[in-house]
Amino acid sequence: MQALTRHISPGWLLVAPFFLVVVAFYLGPLANILWLSVTDPEPGLGNYEKLVENDALARILWTTFRTCAITTVFSVGIGYCLAYAMVHAHQKNQNVMLTLLLISFWISVLVRTFAWLMLLGHNGLVNNGMEAIGLIDRPVRFMRNELGVLIGMVHYMVPYAVLPLMANMQTLDPRVMAASRNLGASGVQTFRRIYLPLTIPGIVASSLLVFILSLGFYVTPAILGGGKVLMVAEYISVQLLVTLQWGTAAMLGTLMLIGVLALLWIMSRFMQLSAVFGGGATR
Amino acid sequence: MQDKQFMKETLLQSAHAYKSGKMDRRTFLALCGASGVAMTAVMAGDAKAAADHIVMWNWGGVSEECHGKAIGEPFEEKTGMGMQFDTSGPLEGKIREMVDSGNVTADVCDADLFNAVSLGPTGHLEPIDYDIVSKERTLPQYALEHGVSIILYGYAFVYDTEMYGDNPPQSWADFYDTENFPGTRALYKWAKGSLESALMADAVAGDELYPLDMERALTKVKSIKDDSIYWGSGSEVHSMCISGEASMAIIWQNRGKNIEEDTEGRYKLVNNQAMAMPGAYIVPKGNPAGREAVMKFIATAQEVPSQLMILDCLGMTPSNPEAFSEIPEEQQPYAITSEQNIDKIVYNDPVWWGENGSEAVNAFLEAIS
Repeated sequence: MQALTRHISPGWLLVAPFFLVVVAFYLGPLANILWLSVTDPEPGLGNYEKLVENDALARILWTTFRTCAITTVFSVGIGYCLAYAMVHAHQKNQNVMLTLLLISFWISVLVRTFAWLMLLGHNGLVNNGMEAIGLIDRPVRFMRNELGVLIGMVHYMVPYAVLPLMANMQTLDPRVMAASRNLGASGVQTFRRIYLPLTIPGIVASSLLVFILSLGFYVTPAILGGGKVLMVAEYISVQLLVTLQWGTAAMLGTLMLIGVLALLWIMSRFMQLSAVFGGGATR
Repeated sequence: MQDKQFMKETLLQSAHAYKSGKMDRRTFLALCGASGVAMTAVMAGDAKAAADHIVMWNWGGVSEECHGKAIGEPFEEKTGMGMQFDTSGPLEGKIREMVDSGNVTADVCDADLFNAVSLGPTGHLEPIDYDIVSKERTLPQYALEHGVSIILYGYAFVYDTEMYGDNPPQSWADFYDTENFPGTRALYKWAKGSLESALMADAVAGDELYPLDMERALTKVKSIKDDSIYWGSGSEVHSMCISGEASMAIIWQNRGKNIEEDTEGRYKLVNNQAMAMPGAYIVPKGNPAGREAVMKFIATAQEVPSQLMILDCLGMTPSNPEAFSEIPEEQQPYAITSEQNIDKIVYNDPVWWGENGSEAVNAFLEAIS
């Protein structure tokens, strides 16, 4: 026992139950997915070969990547403006703005998706209104295409982009900006050369968050895409529930997992991830 | 969720134990009380109600009420066994998962006949006992080893009369003719019906559809891609029509009736060349109520009164030929096997779909996305 405690800190014993729970209920099933992807329907790398052989799969992955990337750019762009406004607003206004943001954050994705259909759909408020004042003579197609999916996803993702950015902006020392102005820099110069570089950790954090969450989008593309925007999450669910090609589903799931991990790894080469996720002070 | 499941099983076990005399009444009642599940069963003084019932796995909604009235009640009268529901939707993947996990909680699935073809040979289903279930009370090609068709539903289409008032589309050829019939089409996302309609539009005869010429069908579907949107659920296509978004839509014929009613006749159903799909009852391997009980249940569903009640309540057409002639007047235009329609329809081949469905669905999804 003493020999054992010499090599292993007793502190690990306290952690052990949680560690075992994680292994049993998280890593175990995950390993099962990996296993399934190389064994179902037959052992080998057949499922992964499909990626090369089947150009439709590559197209679905590309659609997913493209949609998520565009969503990220717009969500973070809009989120940056919102966060900037909120941080610099009067405390009372800031509270109101935060409340409004959180309300939309808490509304279910399904409700928000259908709300867009009512607003921008074929017979929606916007189309009817524009027709009534004679701007257009037939409804514009906002929904049931890629544009619809992007609108729905960006709207859903904006709060996720704002929160990390706000946390980051609040930690900035306003005296730095004041010093810059004092030394003769214009407002634009100060923003470009001082403020923006200082908020890069926030931008990276919210981009990562938005991109990774977007990868799993299922409901919004299915409803607003009119069946024509097929993203990986929906394809995986079809393979699991309808066509019973669990191997293909597991392969795609594994691919997504590796993709996310790789993304985090690449980011970690350029900056300390702990700084991105709010641990900046421990550097 | 897990807790509820656990309680349900505990109760089931103990009710069996009580019935066979291994558990005394007091303990059983205490258990019922603790679980809070079967209070009604306990108050009726009938332990059997907790243990001996058929669990139907369907899609919920109004079908819960309809199945209960049409099959559950006559079945209870006959056998004394009740009926309960799992309304989470018996998708093939879920049935497979349930049987593989060894925790089978459903007795009969309100599914498609092609499910019987794909899940049967892999050992996930109980074979149908044709000593109890009648082969004559369904269409001959729809009595398969692991599943029997109870109702038929149809893939037909609706069109917007305001759009095509004077020259309405009559056939699938018109449906795919965007030149003479401009406007947005809504097709079924999971390929069924969509593929067959494309082939019929491409002048393939209704009785020569199978095996489906996938390439030909997909080429036809792709030819209207810019003018089409795709739906995945009945409510989705319903709203596409109500909002005027789709000028024509492939649709289940019972849903088509609802749309006609909800749009006050603006949309009209066309049953010409409609495709009859066999909706079937299949039984997961090792179902809790036992094979004999569930076969009696299925036999009840085949009887003419049950069949007509399902038609009245859900709009699903009888598959029992004895019931065809008894379809009431007002249902004639909508029921796919009514005298008005039966000569105009084509029949789905569940064997082809069971064997090739996975590839077909994927190919279709890949073609439209």
